[in-house]
Amino acid sequence: MSGWEPGSSSLKTPSRTVTLGRVQPQTPALRTIFCNDRDSNFAHRYKGNSISTTKYNIFTFLPKGLYEQFRRVANLYFLMVSILSATPYSPVNPVTNMVPFSLVLLFSLIKEAFEDWQRFQNDNSINNTPVDVLQAQGWETLQWKKLQVGDIIRVKQDGFFPADILLLASTNADGVCYIETANLDGETNLKIRKALEKTWDYLTPEKACEFKGEVQCEQPNNSLYTFTGNLVIDNQTLPLSPNQILLRGCSLKNTDFIVGAVIFTGHETKVMMNSMNVPSKRSTLERKLDKLILALFSTLFSMCLIGAMSSGIFIDRKYFYLGLGETVEDQFNPSRRFMVIILTMLTLLTLYSTLIPISLYVSIETIKFVQSSQFINKDLNMYHAETNTPASARTSNLNEELGQVEYIFSDKTGTLTRNLMEFFKCSIGGEIYGTGMTEIERGIAERKGIKVQEVQTSTGSVREKGFNFDDVRLMRGAWRNEPNHDACKEFFRCLAICHTVLPEGDMSPEKIKYQAASPDEAALVLAAKNFGFFFYRRTPTTIYVRESHVERMGKIQDVSYEILNVLEFNSTRKRQSVVCRHPDGRLVLYCKGADTVIYERLGSGNDDLNKVTRDHLEQFGSAGLRTLCLAYRDLASDLYESWNEKFIKAKSSLRDREKRLDEVAELIEKELILIGATAIEDKLQDGVPSCIQTLSRAGIKIWVLTGDKMETAINIAYACNLLNNEMKQFIISSETDAIREVEERGDQAEIALFIKEEVKNQLKQCLDEAPQYFCSPSGPKLGLVIDGKCLMYALDPSLRVMLLTLSLNCASVVCCRVSPLQKAQVTSLVKKGARKITLSIGDGANDVSMIQAAHIGIGISGLEGMQAVMASDFAIAQFRFLEDLLLVHGRWAYIRLCKVVMYFFYKNLAFTLTQFWFTFNTGFSGQRFYDDWFQSLYNVIFTALPVVFVGLFDKDISPSLSKKYPELYKEGVRNMFFKWSVVVVWAFFAVYHSLVFFYFISASSSTCRDRSGKMFGLWDVSTMAFTCVVVTINLRLLMMCNSITKWHCISVGGSILVWFVFIFLYSAIMTPLDRNDNMYWVIYILMGTSYFYVTLLLVPVAALLVDFLYLSVQRWFFPYDYQIVQEIHKDDIHSTGTSDLLELKQQLTPDEARSYEISKLPKEVSKHTGFAFDSPGYESFFASQFSKYVPPKAWDVARRASMRSKATPK
Amino acid sequence: MTDTNRERRRTRETAFYLFTQQSLPACKPVLTPGWVITIFLCMGLIFIPVGLVTLRASHSVVEIVDRYDIECVPEPFRIDKISYIQDDSIPKNCSRFMKVHKYMKAPIYIYYQLDNYYQNHRRYVKSRSDKQLLHGRKYHDTSSCQPVELNDGQPIVPCGLIAWSLFNDSFTFIRERAELKVNRKNIAWKSDRDHKFGKSVRPFNFQNGTLIGGGKLNPKIPLSDQEDLIVWMRTSALPSFRKLYGRIEEDLDADDVIVVNLINNYNTYSFGGKKKLVLSTSNWLGGKNDFLGHACVVIGSSSLILAIVFTLLHLKYRRPYGDTSYLPWNRKSLSG
Repeated sequence: MSGWEPGSSSLKTPSRTVTLGRVQPQTPALRTIFCNDRDSNFAHRYKGNSISTTKYNIFTFLPKGLYEQFRRVANLYFLMVSILSATPYSPVNPVTNMVPFSLVLLFSLIKEAFEDWQRFQNDNSINNTPVDVLQAQGWETLQWKKLQVGDIIRVKQDGFFPADILLLASTNADGVCYIETANLDGETNLKIRKALEKTWDYLTPEKACEFKGEVQCEQPNNSLYTFTGNLVIDNQTLPLSPNQILLRGCSLKNTDFIVGAVIFTGHETKVMMNSMNVPSKRSTLERKLDKLILALFSTLFSMCLIGAMSSGIFIDRKYFYLGLGETVEDQFNPSRRFMVIILTMLTLLTLYSTLIPISLYVSIETIKFVQSSQFINKDLNMYHAETNTPASARTSNLNEELGQVEYIFSDKTGTLTRNLMEFFKCSIGGEIYGTGMTEIERGIAERKGIKVQEVQTSTGSVREKGFNFDDVRLMRGAWRNEPNHDACKEFFRCLAICHTVLPEGDMSPEKIKYQAASPDEAALVLAAKNFGFFFYRRTPTTIYVRESHVERMGKIQDVSYEILNVLEFNSTRKRQSVVCRHPDGRLVLYCKGADTVIYERLGSGNDDLNKVTRDHLEQFGSAGLRTLCLAYRDLASDLYESWNEKFIKAKSSLRDREKRLDEVAELIEKELILIGATAIEDKLQDGVPSCIQTLSRAGIKIWVLTGDKMETAINIAYACNLLNNEMKQFIISSETDAIREVEERGDQAEIALFIKEEVKNQLKQCLDEAPQYFCSPSGPKLGLVIDGKCLMYALDPSLRVMLLTLSLNCASVVCCRVSPLQKAQVTSLVKKGARKITLSIGDGANDVSMIQAAHIGIGISGLEGMQAVMASDFAIAQFRFLEDLLLVHGRWAYIRLCKVVMYFFYKNLAFTLTQFWFTFNTGFSGQRFYDDWFQSLYNVIFTALPVVFVGLFDKDISPSLSKKYPELYKEGVRNMFFKWSVVVVWAFFAVYHSLVFFYFISASSSTCRDRSGKMFGLWDVSTMAFTCVVVTINLRLLMMCNSITKWHCISVGGSILVWFVFIFLYSAIMTPLDRNDNMYWVIYILMGTSYFYVTLLLVPVAALLVDFLYLSVQRWFFPYDYQIVQEIHKDDIHSTGTSDLLELKQQLTPDEARSYEISKLPKEVSKHTGFAFDSPGYESFFASQFSKYVPPKAWDVARRASMRSKATPK
Repeated sequence: MTDTNRERRRTRETAFYLFTQQSLPACKPVLTPGWVITIFLCMGLIFIPVGLVTLRASHSVVEIVDRYDIECVPEPFRIDKISYIQDDSIPKNCSRFMKVHKYMKAPIYIYYQLDNYYQNHRRYVKSRSDKQLLHGRKYHDTSSCQPVELNDGQPIVPCGLIAWSLFNDSFTFIRERAELKVNRKNIAWKSDRDHKFGKSVRPFNFQNGTLIGGGKLNPKIPLSDQEDLIVWMRTSALPSFRKLYGRIEEDLDADDVIVVNLINNYNTYSFGGKKKLVLSTSNWLGGKNDFLGHACVVIGSSSLILAIVFTLLHLKYRRPYGDTSYLPWNRKSLSG
């Protein structure tokens, strides 16, 4: 448990804290901006509006880029070797040693430069976008980068705001404008911004010139949803709110143009201050690779040490032919043996440098890049046609990590469920309406053995997206005949009035579209429409509803309700209220919210109704439905007036405005009268249950972390096959009588202590009970359900170990009522405490911390906001695609990467050891066996390409089989292919092969000669050896392939061919510059002898026959699981191959291709919107409550903003 | 034209599609017992004959080896061989008798063999100047020749340790009182003679220093014709090596006795090296070397044995291939 600290370790740096929704104090607290007065602002030296997201510029590129490269140990090592090889101690030519290294460096640098160039181009095109700026009586078109704080600018429809600006005037009535904030939070619904009444007139350039305001506001910060400031105009101080601020990155919609004053520019805009780099994750395999490299380094040093020591012993004046006179240089001076050892060490370090695979990282990066960009991103199995969303790998670092996942942490809403809210049932005045049956209810019924008959939908029932309700008692005006028709009326009115939905499009019931902050809200307004209360227009002060006439059927009347106050939803309040004035002057507060909150605020009386409704709420909850309570309150006008004064005061306060607003709201939201409750169905995503079952067969444990109620969570878990009745379920809940009792007493310290004790007891009890189940193999699986409050205490360091032990033994865990922070804590509990590989999947802003905490973060794309996707490592459109992502792509990536790494290890070891054995025969002098170019091109040319193809194409079994036998995935979880034992086996073969290479060839060449009796020299022998090495090493690759495509053959054959072509040219050409006397004509001499051909036949076979024996024995006696599956399906492999082919041909219809092409374009406006009951401030709310830091939201908004502006033509 | 273009584009798209969907057509070899046995059998069937042929070739070579470094030091000097070899005043003549035990067909190659002589030592290998060898004294940058670069301020041609330590024992062969003609032309690789050693470069200032390493060169003959030097300068791969001395172009009959008159100049005594004289015939494979043949036979026969072992295993304990009960999760469920 060492290394586990409270919270996530990455959260510790305070500079990373982002408190969205709360303003951080800044020094100096205020910024004063003189609008339309560049000279006065000049003194403040505000930053310009040009942005730069590049990492380098022309001058810093080389030093900085090289610095980045040399932060890798391997590169640093090769730099050292290159320097060493320029000294006289080097046995090799410095140029030839630097070539592969520079190639590798160049490759990486070009990649960096290319990426940075793209960023630069992007910045450039953004900085040069034109905008209209007020200059001397008229609009002048300037570039964005020339914009300054205080400028008055004009933005036209569909234009992007170039900076954070204060809205002054709009062409729309009442100074209103509409904006789309998709670039900031992914929400595509339109938002209203409203200028202060005082500034409405400054629309024309003539008027605007006269505008001389002074803005006093907070310093630039990254909080997207807050703004505090005042506008001082004509000696009047007017409060400013986020409502008047238009943020950079948003675009103007449905408004001809607006006029505004620039407040924050360039990097000081909120969107830019929010853009930060996601800390890059490294995969476990790569970390293990570091260890392997370290092992190689130690091998290298011991090899050098052995060689150097022996050379110190060997060197002697008796070898007169070595000319070791008195003035001999230090390296060969027998009188100074210690120096000999030291210097030979350097020589050998250069000589054996090929042991460290220089091209390994480049190859791995290339492989991973192709895997993610070509395979994962373009897999049609993970392409969601409905939302036109392909999978997308946002990082290519973690492909193989996907093959080793052991724990999945999943969000519920939007991930397991569709977040497609449909109005399903309701309870009005103590009566349940709605005849539908949810999937969950059906599942429960099936488990109970009750046969479910299909409910006949009554003819002519209304079905549209978001409304799945059918009850003859209510529909088509029938509610008038109900006994509680007054309650019904109030219920529908509340639905139609109390919301923040914007109608869009034509004002007819059929064509209207509702833009809502949350799908629940839209569903409720939609329901009101279907019940005959059609909300069709909203102005800032009025809501228009087309109501069916209360008394008479078929008659409709337009009623306008004056909206006096809107008390908005946030996650603290968990409710939303509207104060409105009916046309008849009646003042009513309508309120809707979570049951707990509403029940607290109900007036006395009506206990029966409250109790019945509560029962209904529980019934809905257990059916997996999302519930809301509706209530209202009639207000006396004097009471309202006095309250309204307080409200206005709170609204214009500069500090703690939100808190004060909450307090004021508290004053009026009381003594409510309950009307009823709504139940909205949250549908399961396609294929979730079967996917979960497959994944759990693969040995992956799935934890559901949700903010929902326990009943909902458990039922979703049932519906998804996560829990079932055969399981032993442990439930740790804070909803016990004992706890409630203590809570009622209200002493916080006592509550904490009590709950902690309670949780401890429960945990202990579970732990005592658990072993008897998981010790017997046939016993039931275990499941754990825990709620957020208990979890808070269970995560305490003293109880954490117990929680971990218990939960690791459970097949599935459900955490409900958890905050985003707790999601992250649970994730890192398993990640760090149990050292297992974790994956988090979620779709909303509340999952961001969890996504970042896990080894792999997956965002669900295509529906909710982009926040989760932006923070994620992979984005998929549907939960069920996890099956493909993990079992197919992850598994393959893991197996392939393991093979690549092992092969690299083997080929370099075998090659270098040959050299090592030769050292023993040269008096340990460090003479090179191979020519310089052989040695340097060995890694980058002669053996580079085939292994990349293995990393791309190797396929042990087909995707369908991977999914049919999910158990195969366990091989990856157990890390079967990258264990030290595997390394040892490869090392053994490397040693054996190197012995064969060296001794077979030296033994057989000792008397070898051509037909005229001429003997071979050193370079003839080494060329022979190198030929055998290249052939053998390349053929060995083919032996480890599970599937051999033509590319394998081409690359292996090509590599060998390239070697021959190279040596033919190399030994035939003698340039005056670099005379290769050593190698001249060598290959032709060699190939003129029959010895060459016999040896070339013998050596590879002698080497590889042992490998073949190993492979046969391994498969025969100790087969891997996948090998058995291969054998089972050996015969149908070919048939599936061809049927695959046919299928593919069919799939590639023009339509398919087109939609696929479209899917690759930057995403256009999606149909979906955010989640109202989960406001963006949610996270920070919990954070501040627990006084914990929250990881920054990595909305890479700036980049996204630039992407968008580039994609959209002007 | 457009049709073929479209066709081509379509093929390309399909290929790319197959690539991204990772369904490129591939052959998927599975090592079934049949394959294992077949491959071992094939290897056996290929390598045993190859091995036998090579062995036979190796055996057909007749080779006479005579180590002479000790015998050629007269009895009194054997205690201190080094001073003997370094004393120029003592004549180094020596006679050896070599008995031909088998008919040797011309050409018969004469080699001298040195053991424990590190011609592949790093200091030694690099101590030469290829450009000087080709261009002669015109080429000045001979720093690589250290420490045998200059003598009395004059460049040495050929410079460097390799040339300096040129082997200088010489051999004459007498059969039945008649001297056997030894052809000492064309003993170096043609590529070396033509391209590495200058035709107009003549030895200069060679072996004039205080320390004399080995043989001298006739300063009148250009380097490209100094074949002993050329042979010597093709450095050997291993510390034990043979170099070609010449060819006897007459057949030798069995039981012929050959008298070798040699001058034992070269000092291998200081470092304990051996000197041997080798007479050998040649065939298509080269000289006498059983290694290749033995290796092939061993590999071939072990493959055969493995093939038999696997066949027996297969017959006796037939491993059910593709048996689902082998899968661990099935095993567990069986036991549970």
